[in-house]
Amino acid sequence: MRDFLLIYVNGQRHQIYGEHGFQSLSDFLRIDLGLVGTKVVCAEGDCGSCTVLIGRVRNCEMHYEGIDSCIQYLYQLDCAHVITVEGLKEEGQKIHPVQQAIVDAMGSQCGYCTPGFVMSLVAMLETNETLTRHSVQDGLTGNLCRCTGYEQIIDAALSLNPDVIPRASKRFDVKAMLEDFTEHVSQPVFCEYEEKWNGTGQQVQFFLPTSLKEAVEFKQKHKNVIIVAGGTDISVQMNKERLEPNYVMSLTNLTGLELLEIENRTMTIGAKVTWAKLGEFCQKHFPELVEIISIFASRQIRNAGTLAGNIANASPIADSLPFLHVIEAEIELTGSQGTRWVNINRFYQGYKNKVMTQEELITSIRWNIPDPEDVLKLYKVSKRKDLDISTFTAGILLKLKNGKMQSVRLAYGGVGPIVLRLPKTEEFLQGKPMMSAIFQEAGKLAREEINPISDVRASVDYRSQLAENILMKFFHECCDNQNKKEAA
Amino acid sequence: MKVHGKRTQHDSAVGRVTGRTLFVDDLPSEKNELFVDNIEQAEQKESRKKVVGKQVPHDSAVGHVTGEALFVDDLPSAKNELIVDYIASPVAHGKIKSLNYEEMAKLDGIVEVFTHADIPGHNLYGPVIKDERFLAEDIVEYVGQPIAIIAGESRRAIRQAKKHTLLEIQELTPVFTIDEAITAKQFIGVPRTFKQGNFDKAWRESKHKLTGTFVSNGQEQFYLESQAALAWPGEYGEIQVHSSSQNPTEIQEVVAEALGLGFHEVVCVCKRMGGGFGGKETQAVIPAVMAALVAAKTQRPARVAYSKDDDMRSTGKRHPYKIHYKAAFTSEGKITGVKFDIYSNGGAAADLSTAIMERTLFHSENAYFIPNLVFNGTICKTNFPPNTAFRGFGGPQGMANIENVIQEIAIYLKKDALEVRRLNCYSHHERNVTPYGQIVQNHILPEIIDQLAKTSEYRKRMTGVEEFNRQSTTHLRGLALTPMKFGISFTTKFLNQGNALVNVYKDGTVQVSTGGTEMGQGLNTKIRQLVADEFAISYDDVRMMITSTEKNNNTPPTAASAGTDLNGFAAVNACQKIRSNLSAFASRYFASEELGLDHSVEHICFEESSVFDDRTPDKTLSFRELVQLAFMDRVSMGARGFYRTPEINFNRDIEKGEPFFYYTTGAAVSEVLIDRFTGYLKLERSDLLMDIGESINPGIDRGQIIGGFIQGVGWVTNEDLRYSDKGELLSYSPTTYKIPNIQDLPEIFNVDTISNPHHQINIRRSKAVAEPPLMLCLSVWIAVKHALSFVQNGVSPQLNLPATGEEILRRLTELTNDSKNYGTVDDSTKEPEVSMVSLPPLAI
Repeated sequence: MRDFLLIYVNGQRHQIYGEHGFQSLSDFLRIDLGLVGTKVVCAEGDCGSCTVLIGRVRNCEMHYEGIDSCIQYLYQLDCAHVITVEGLKEEGQKIHPVQQAIVDAMGSQCGYCTPGFVMSLVAMLETNETLTRHSVQDGLTGNLCRCTGYEQIIDAALSLNPDVIPRASKRFDVKAMLEDFTEHVSQPVFCEYEEKWNGTGQQVQFFLPTSLKEAVEFKQKHKNVIIVAGGTDISVQMNKERLEPNYVMSLTNLTGLELLEIENRTMTIGAKVTWAKLGEFCQKHFPELVEIISIFASRQIRNAGTLAGNIANASPIADSLPFLHVIEAEIELTGSQGTRWVNINRFYQGYKNKVMTQEELITSIRWNIPDPEDVLKLYKVSKRKDLDISTFTAGILLKLKNGKMQSVRLAYGGVGPIVLRLPKTEEFLQGKPMMSAIFQEAGKLAREEINPISDVRASVDYRSQLAENILMKFFHECCDNQNKKEAA
Repeated sequence: MKVHGKRTQHDSAVGRVTGRTLFVDDLPSEKNELFVDNIEQAEQKESRKKVVGKQVPHDSAVGHVTGEALFVDDLPSAKNELIVDYIASPVAHGKIKSLNYEEMAKLDGIVEVFTHADIPGHNLYGPVIKDERFLAEDIVEYVGQPIAIIAGESRRAIRQAKKHTLLEIQELTPVFTIDEAITAKQFIGVPRTFKQGNFDKAWRESKHKLTGTFVSNGQEQFYLESQAALAWPGEYGEIQVHSSSQNPTEIQEVVAEALGLGFHEVVCVCKRMGGGFGGKETQAVIPAVMAALVAAKTQRPARVAYSKDDDMRSTGKRHPYKIHYKAAFTSEGKITGVKFDIYSNGGAAADLSTAIMERTLFHSENAYFIPNLVFNGTICKTNFPPNTAFRGFGGPQGMANIENVIQEIAIYLKKDALEVRRLNCYSHHERNVTPYGQIVQNHILPEIIDQLAKTSEYRKRMTGVEEFNRQSTTHLRGLALTPMKFGISFTTKFLNQGNALVNVYKDGTVQVSTGGTEMGQGLNTKIRQLVADEFAISYDDVRMMITSTEKNNNTPPTAASAGTDLNGFAAVNACQKIRSNLSAFASRYFASEELGLDHSVEHICFEESSVFDDRTPDKTLSFRELVQLAFMDRVSMGARGFYRTPEINFNRDIEKGEPFFYYTTGAAVSEVLIDRFTGYLKLERSDLLMDIGESINPGIDRGQIIGGFIQGVGWVTNEDLRYSDKGELLSYSPTTYKIPNIQDLPEIFNVDTISNPHHQINIRRSKAVAEPPLMLCLSVWIAVKHALSFVQNGVSPQLNLPATGEEILRRLTELTNDSKNYGTVDDSTKEPEVSMVSLPPLAI
């Protein structure tokens, strides 16, 4: 058992003890280390000003990607190497080519968001991405700028020749870090401290298990433990003081949950698989899901957040849920009694209420790949198209036979306390021909099956109207596809 | 007639910003002679221009990209520094019955808690009307209003301690909307009226008339660096405040007043801001006073840095507006008269609302000549944070309203809206008098519109849009061209002044300080360019120094787009004084009895870092050598420059005069695609064209144009402030408040400038850029309106601003379904101007 976290920052080794491990990376950088080039604006992973590179060991090599340092707590970063904007500087060298490009293209105005943009672009180089207007926009979706209108930042990115730019990570003695990490990563980490500011002297503990067994045991012992993988929602809740856990378990060093496989047309996804990895894996079979992933989350979020986290968080507007509901996904729960599989449609019992027992963990998710001729459509309506929490979501899975709808599965999010399947509408559509009037009527039915609320994102009226209209939209898109097929 | 071809092209204009040719044929003839002379003179002078006109990178660009450019909260902490936070009102309107913070003050890490009673000076302030309190006394007037200040050893300590506050408030009835304020007769300042001609007569006699209501919501500035201040106690009670402020002089003065000090005992410095956009013109005051009060009371450095959530919840925004309009027009579409009853939602205190309403009145006709008009402007007092400056300063709302009216006229008359706009546009010789009596001179508004219509292929695309809308069952397209005319100068005359300090050092390098503040707009870069050219030295030999009230006193805020105009002129004025001293010395130095050359200042030239007498051009001194010799000869090489804008005047008694030094103008064409099922809006193409005079730095100006436009696009589309029915802002962070991101750029985006040879005034014949491009966004909003006009052919849709997906779908549904599904809305113009939902209250 280790009582410290091991983190490298710009090549410098840090052992972090006690309460210092229980803070966001951005606070650690800015307050403890005085690395103020990393800026914090929102503290919720929505603006990217705090973007840094995180290098982690995968297959005995370091892999670097951009993340939002404000919503990564240090206990998520054990055995990781952090590169900040300060880390791009080499003694006596000119500034990094990405930095020079932004200077030359007039890509900074007030400069507050700029280090974040620099790091996001450096991250793109690190993963050897081709820089096109499209890829640059995707790579920078998670970075907000209020001054420039972005055009000059895109100009800067497109002026770069990635082939001749040395990778930022290459400056550091990665070999020594790898050795150090290999030596430490197999030790579970346990840290505790007394929260002394709140007058009551509460014990706070965090634990980094290395095996599922350790994890289940810790969960059994501390029933109210908060489990963190990507932390893209939990850390926000903590930053905003909506959540102040006494026990946290970070899955960072837990191996065996990275599974990604297809066997007999069943896809299985491990609980630690990030959105980025899931997206790559689903390119062939689920382009609709890939599209949703690319819209709802920025790079930084996709590199940290997980599908399992989305399920565990149990929000009625979680972006993966309509998909999982219509695909009839099953969730693997592991506890001291072993594992069991639960269909997602029976997983939620009410708002944020799951059928999991207190000692269970989500360990994987699986679903069957539909027949190639089945139609799967996913919809997400939000105020801003990219990187926004949904106002309304929908998943539709249609099986057609001889021009008739053999079966239709419908799941709506954002219209009730949990994601809803619409049994009456599904039943109504079953066996009917694909006709505009049918979908119009189905829309009216769908409206009756839901129970939306008005909130910061939208009114009841808007959500109801969307619930009705989305079926017509689906109908038109199916017709369009049909026409295109016929034309081809 | 002589035709001039291309004039000075910016030699390093890049990307899509290019100088455009304008032919003199298009211009009024009698001015040509004068104009030609001016050009020839100008071109002679041009040869001296070295840095001005070039795309020099932003003054702090390297610091920005490396993270080495420091903002207030990046400054290193002193050992005994205190962190400052505040206790905010949880209710929109209430009477404080008790505040018990003794428990909290005793907690570990908490050093002091202060209330209004601890303020040694006075607790009342306000930039125009003194009606605002630093800390609430017995009444709270908005959710988020600071009540008490906590000073602690760490953020963690304060965070825990805040949970121990016991605050008892008796809730009073709040007023949120304009309509509620009108009913309750709660207003700020006095109503203002602009009049021209005889509206009543025009209305009576007109065959064609329209009435309606325009509604726009507010907008959060969303500067990335939230409000912040750091105060250091000095000797003899002095205080130095680092403030993220557009207005260091105001910070100096209000801190002094709050602490009971003389202005000479307070220094305010501002290195840079992480964005301001107007949000730090007045509202940096409260955090600065918080930090200063703690520093003064504890004699320890004190730092306050708002979280984005607190910042958004407790500071003011762009004003929501509601405007009832009446318009009379001919069957050709020529407007004969309008009457606008304009109401703004000012929030709980006056702040800058009166000046903002004034600017609305100055821009309610936008680029159009209206012979008969009445504009009534009234500010409503409500229980929101005091609304404040935001890029455009009331102009955008006034301009959105008239553009809305014109679009309605076009829909009503079944005419192309561009024709109607062109028909009403200000002309050169006649139809050029504004509602406030100023003549719109030296403008090229019709030329801008015509050129843009041509380059954007407006007519061809309009045919395409109409065809598309006939065919598509799933989508709608809309296309609109809107012009923009924005008056440059503070409309409060005394603010139109600036001063600068220029120091030349013995190695020939120069430091410049002005009262202007840098918030990303490139002010310092432009001044550095101007100063380098004045001495004909290299740009690198000039440095811009931190803005400080110690060096530049009694300065106006950096606002009204006039930062470069006022401070640039002042800096040049200082340079000229020094150059005059140096020239006098150089003339004696170069005088030669042998050659029969008496000393003559007129012959001294500064070129390419050297100085010579043009009668003996082979004999030169480098600027550095000259400076060294001049020092030995005891020549003064420091100077303060001063500038006040000439020829501006406005008489508020009769509401007539010439408030503006000149106008910055432009136009934009935007095309949108709307999903009929979801209301989702996609901006497909925008073409922008602006007259910004001769750019001092084309790269910076291009950034201002694009950045301003996109910021405006946020205002008219997705930026949606939503409140609970208790007046709590619910969209208080970027998770719920969506400013445009990089995916929201138009797919095709053309940005251009046009040359205007009439414009012969202002510093280096440049024009202010900052605010004006924001209003080009109206092309996007009007394009939505245009698209919706196809739903029920010829029926003009009510469209509130912003046109969110929800707003668009609501209007689409109303138009298609007789509004059955939106049963609650029978009169769409009665839509509330503040978007509020019923929710359990959130803790602040």
